[in-house]
Amino acid sequence: MPKRTDIKKIMLLGSGPIVIGQACEFDYSGTQACKALREEGYEVILVNSNPATIMTDPESANRVYIEPLELPYLRSIIEKERPQALIPTLGGQTALNAAMKLHAEGVLKQFNVELLGASVEAINKAEDRELFKKEMAKIGAQVPLSFTVHSMKEGWEAVKKIGYPVILRPSFTLGGSGGGIAKTPEEFEKILEFGLSESPTTEVLLEQSVLGWKEFELEVMRDHKGTFVVICSIENLDPMGVHTGDSITVAPIMTLTDQEYQAMRDEACRVIETIGVATGGANIQFAVNPANGERIVIEMNPRVSRSSALASKATGFPIAKIAAKLAVGYELEEILNDITKTTPSCFEPSIDYVVTKIPRFDFEKFPGSKDFLTTQMKSVGEVMGIGRTFKESLLKAVASLEKGTGGFDPVPWDEEKLVTPNSRRLFYVAQAFREGLTVDQIFEKTAITPWFLEKIQELVLAEKSISLGDLESADSLLNLKRLGMTDAFIAAQLKVAESTVTQARKKHSINPGYWSVDTCAGEFESNTPYYYSSYWAPAKKPLGLESAVVVLGSGPNRIGQAIEFDYACVQAIRSIRSLGRTSVMINSNPETVSTDYDTSDLLFFEPLTAEHVIEVLRFVEPKGVCVQFGGQTPIHLAPKISKAGFQILGSSLESISQAEDRKLFSQICRSLGLALPKHETASTAQEAIKAAERVGFPVICRPSFVLGGRKMEIIEEPKALQNYLSTVGDLMAADSPLLIDEFLDHALELDVDVVSDGQTVLIGGVVEHIEAAGTHSGDSMGVLPPQRVGQPLIDRIEDLSRKLCHMMKVVGHLNLQLAVKNDVIYVLEANPRSSRSVPFVSKATGIPLVRLATQAMLGEPIHITRYWKEMDSICVKGVVFPFKKFQEADALLGPEMRSTGETMGRSHGVGGLTPDYAEALEKAFLSAGVRLPSEGTVFLSIRDRDKEEIPELAKILSNLGFDIIATPGTAKFLEGIGVKVRAVNKVQQGSPHCVDAIKSGMVSLVINTVSGAKAVADSFSIRRSCVDKNIPCITEMSVVEHVVRVLQSRHNHPRYQIRTSPL
Amino acid sequence: MTGYLVLDDGEVFKGEFLGETHWECVGEVVFNTSLVGYQEIVTDPSYYRQIIVMTAPEQGNYGTLPAERESKRVWAQGFVCLEFNDVHKSRHRRSLESELFEFKSPILNGVDTRSLTLHLRSRGTPWGTIVCTQSVEEAKIIGRERIRQAKEAVGSDWVNEVSQEKTTLHQGSKQKGRIALIDYGFKKSILDQLLLRVKEVAVFNSRATAKEILDWNPDGLFLSNGPGDPAAVEHAPEIVKQLLGTKPMFGICMGHQILSLALGGRTYKLKFGHRGSNHPVKNFATGEIYMTAQNHGYAVDPDLPTGVQLSQINLYDKTIEGIECKAKKAWSVQYHPEAGPGPHDSRVLFDHFVHEVVL
Repeated sequence: MPKRTDIKKIMLLGSGPIVIGQACEFDYSGTQACKALREEGYEVILVNSNPATIMTDPESANRVYIEPLELPYLRSIIEKERPQALIPTLGGQTALNAAMKLHAEGVLKQFNVELLGASVEAINKAEDRELFKKEMAKIGAQVPLSFTVHSMKEGWEAVKKIGYPVILRPSFTLGGSGGGIAKTPEEFEKILEFGLSESPTTEVLLEQSVLGWKEFELEVMRDHKGTFVVICSIENLDPMGVHTGDSITVAPIMTLTDQEYQAMRDEACRVIETIGVATGGANIQFAVNPANGERIVIEMNPRVSRSSALASKATGFPIAKIAAKLAVGYELEEILNDITKTTPSCFEPSIDYVVTKIPRFDFEKFPGSKDFLTTQMKSVGEVMGIGRTFKESLLKAVASLEKGTGGFDPVPWDEEKLVTPNSRRLFYVAQAFREGLTVDQIFEKTAITPWFLEKIQELVLAEKSISLGDLESADSLLNLKRLGMTDAFIAAQLKVAESTVTQARKKHSINPGYWSVDTCAGEFESNTPYYYSSYWAPAKKPLGLESAVVVLGSGPNRIGQAIEFDYACVQAIRSIRSLGRTSVMINSNPETVSTDYDTSDLLFFEPLTAEHVIEVLRFVEPKGVCVQFGGQTPIHLAPKISKAGFQILGSSLESISQAEDRKLFSQICRSLGLALPKHETASTAQEAIKAAERVGFPVICRPSFVLGGRKMEIIEEPKALQNYLSTVGDLMAADSPLLIDEFLDHALELDVDVVSDGQTVLIGGVVEHIEAAGTHSGDSMGVLPPQRVGQPLIDRIEDLSRKLCHMMKVVGHLNLQLAVKNDVIYVLEANPRSSRSVPFVSKATGIPLVRLATQAMLGEPIHITRYWKEMDSICVKGVVFPFKKFQEADALLGPEMRSTGETMGRSHGVGGLTPDYAEALEKAFLSAGVRLPSEGTVFLSIRDRDKEEIPELAKILSNLGFDIIATPGTAKFLEGIGVKVRAVNKVQQGSPHCVDAIKSGMVSLVINTVSGAKAVADSFSIRRSCVDKNIPCITEMSVVEHVVRVLQSRHNHPRYQIRTSPL
Repeated sequence: MTGYLVLDDGEVFKGEFLGETHWECVGEVVFNTSLVGYQEIVTDPSYYRQIIVMTAPEQGNYGTLPAERESKRVWAQGFVCLEFNDVHKSRHRRSLESELFEFKSPILNGVDTRSLTLHLRSRGTPWGTIVCTQSVEEAKIIGRERIRQAKEAVGSDWVNEVSQEKTTLHQGSKQKGRIALIDYGFKKSILDQLLLRVKEVAVFNSRATAKEILDWNPDGLFLSNGPGDPAAVEHAPEIVKQLLGTKPMFGICMGHQILSLALGGRTYKLKFGHRGSNHPVKNFATGEIYMTAQNHGYAVDPDLPTGVQLSQINLYDKTIEGIECKAKKAWSVQYHPEAGPGPHDSRVLFDHFVHEVVL
């Protein structure tokens, strides 16, 4: 059946801000779907609150609403747009939940909106554990023994029947949030309590543990006629017990026989049929008992997922695109396979390579959090390695992590780290072989399938055998390269320079070849230029693409470098293409839009190491390389790329290093008469102490060359500095000194994004931070245009930015971080590249910064057609934190970045109304999951230096109708000035205390400012309980002001008018 | 030990030779794109006189079990792959190496199988041999000679060479239905699928006469898969012609081709054949699309005789995947609904057939 013609307008929901468990993969799927639907002639209405996405670019859909994915906003958009259909299966759990809410509230029915892709019934059957269990019983599929409970009491009864260990899975949460494995009644109580509060339906599934069983996933598709295909089979290297998002996974399945695999496939077909996913993709997870082959169904996601993004990248089969086409009525048979262009999409890809995904973790960002893995996802990103063998693919994935030599670098032996799953377990498995453990012993301790262990053992054996003679023998060296070992790793074993190995390789003409991903293992011709390197492929003649421009991607998502940079890469690629040049993308992150095979003219799925990148450049022979779009990763590679003889486009290597080098940079600033915070550098602890004294406390310290403010801290006094130095010793060296700066307390911070062609400098926008100096810019909320800074100061900032641009000879992007204190503008940092704020600024102002920068880098002059302040809206950047996933982490903000994603709250000047700052703030908060209450009790616990601001704040809150509770000191003070307040004990004063009050649910808002190590430690449980209970907890006075603004605005306009974008 | 796969077109692919150097290993070189199922593949009689190249890189991972064979022995002349694996003892299974070596089939490991596959795709199906020599030059000389000799020696009726001589009787699990299975090189999965659905199955030699077969008084006739060129199979089309119309008849693969010939159709050689587990086939009668297991080098000419309808088609290359002759109650498919290895989507065809038989 061809596409449906009764539908004209389709609404698509995105997945909102990047959080753990829901990242760029939904930008990838949404962007693909938008494109597919528009190609079919449908009018597409897109809603997403995340500005750092390609899907929210104006050209992605007919109309894009950057609005909260919340009922009132969605309702008003539906009312205005009147779409005939809504596809809820492409925006992750967020979109699915939002669609279910629209259904439950009758909005879909009221406006006659049909759900496409998955019905309400199907979603319920897949998501509701009890219903799912019933459906599985119907088709004879086994599920773990389980009970759904809604209270602690029901929980205790159920666990008696299941026994320990028991798995807890809250219903309707992202990435298994709030779940875990309990081995004791104590653990059970803790996790269940948390899980019940996490689940929007106060529902937790208690489940028999299948810890240690083998875990598999099938990515499947089905059309309305019932044609069923498995796109990709995936085997988890980590056995059951580790969330699949945190597991190393391998495609295709490696250790099942045909009979075992086909039985699983048959069951998957029955599962999708009984759940009733009429059209589209689904992901089904299985566990298999290694002892007897017993198989159970773990879960089914009736939508595209992180795994389906991986499966698409692994096989070349664009699941989201096909899902969108199936949703509008096509059959698989009717859709052509994009890759072969001659065969239909109703087939199962066969691949002749192996794909390994390794998650990337950022535990070090959350001091106190324990690095161990459970059924709750904690990874922030992932990499994919494609190789011809499992070993080659595994090591290519390891290299893609961008750590160390890109191989199995040794780790200090710790058996506990082998036994308990953690972010580095793969390295401990390798180390265990070095320590002499056998496959059987390691299997015993880890339950990792022996086949995988044997492969790792083979790699360790090969590593042990490496000798200098291997550099003399072409065969030996080729064999090492075929295993996937990097030059740097081989060099480290031989204690020689990396270049020695590279030169030996060149001497023997050992170069990788490039194969393309073709969906059919070579059976049919395909010309899709989606490549991976392998030393199992014959080296081919270089392509000699003289007009080609290479864009280096940003690698795995990590805190500080995530989707914002993929956005820039994709924009850059599109600009390169629109200028008629051949665009080439190199990246290792399977979640992204940049690694979609039709984003660029040529795609190389490769690790972003100097070795792999330079090999690709040698193969392509491009005109030049763009290093400004992928964040710090390409900036680090720039010197080696330049040295290898390739041209860096845009700002020269010299101007890039000027910005990176503190000394050079301060010289420039001084020559321009710009103020810098007092700053020093130190290579040793002693130097650091002296330097801090010269600067004067408080100081802000950080190691060089780090991203997202890693290990950046505000140090108030010498003793704290001593403590700090003991933790950064290994990050401090002569060539990477510690940076010690004056801390500008209470200063206002600003971000400026600038684009220059070398002559003309365009100011993209000046973002005013809401938090004062001291909070990392990535963690600060921000507003555009600035609300507290006047035009004279903005003029000065723009002038200064232009001067810096000229002085540094910037061509392309420049991002400046500024602070203003006592009317003096300080330059804190200059980044010679696209920045995290670029997508936000572009969306807010409508100025396509990346496009202009790319054009400038390719020699096109910039024509300024509009001034950023001409924007007719106020846009607020909201921030999302993953504290919930890290139970031991403090939610206090600081100079080290910890947020995973951002939102945009926008208030338009429509219908004669002026833009409303409060509305923009409220939307930004809401999209970030901060639900500000309109009534209830506010708990105040405020540090001394903020006390002077309390009286007014308390009065306002009181006038707004809030009850106020406070710790005894504050309470007394407030009573003294006539504010009605109730005193509550500090935690140290014993129960019932303030944390009991928060946990009981009686508090609806917490304002907690604190400084000093002891006070921070004492108040930890306040913030933690707020995180656990989803109660907004404001830790900065500057934010409090803004919260109050929202509350007042709501109070004054009780029937809040929701404004959506103008048509 | 270094070994070489020498092709009759002069191409040579290097690898690591596993096995005994004196084992003879000459045959057509074909590639299979199945991701799993190496044991079923090497024991399928349709691979008689063929050297199998697996496109999936990791082979041997999960070992083998005699019970999972498709026949009593390994038929593949040789096994070519990129990464050969042993099986861990915790699986309690036999290694693929032992399985192949028991029947003197050598392995060429560490071969750039993708380059080889692309070559086979563009070249067609060459003959080849796996040899162990000191140099590539020597390999070419020895290899070509071996191929030449083998081609001269080989007969053309491969079906006759693999078909079991004596009739055997097999008990099924149902109360009704007697099926005569004519063995052109049948896979055990076919027998198993039939036994699940009928009372008994008798397996006859490919040259068993129509009278011998009908004397057994079957309710249905089943024509099995088998190796080689259907046009070279002696007697079979004639026998099938005699059997046509007597009882409902169903054919698979070679059986499908023989049926076509018996009905007056023609067959032709495909450039490089279909071997894998992922070809989509559309069944016109039901509108269903099956993912199918495929293994054939020849196909039925689309110019079908009158009275014969095209019933199923390959959605990849539009080749014929099924025919029917309603007047004679005869149906056949080119692919393998019995799977083993491959998807089970089309096993339903056995139900349809048995339904006709025990009506």
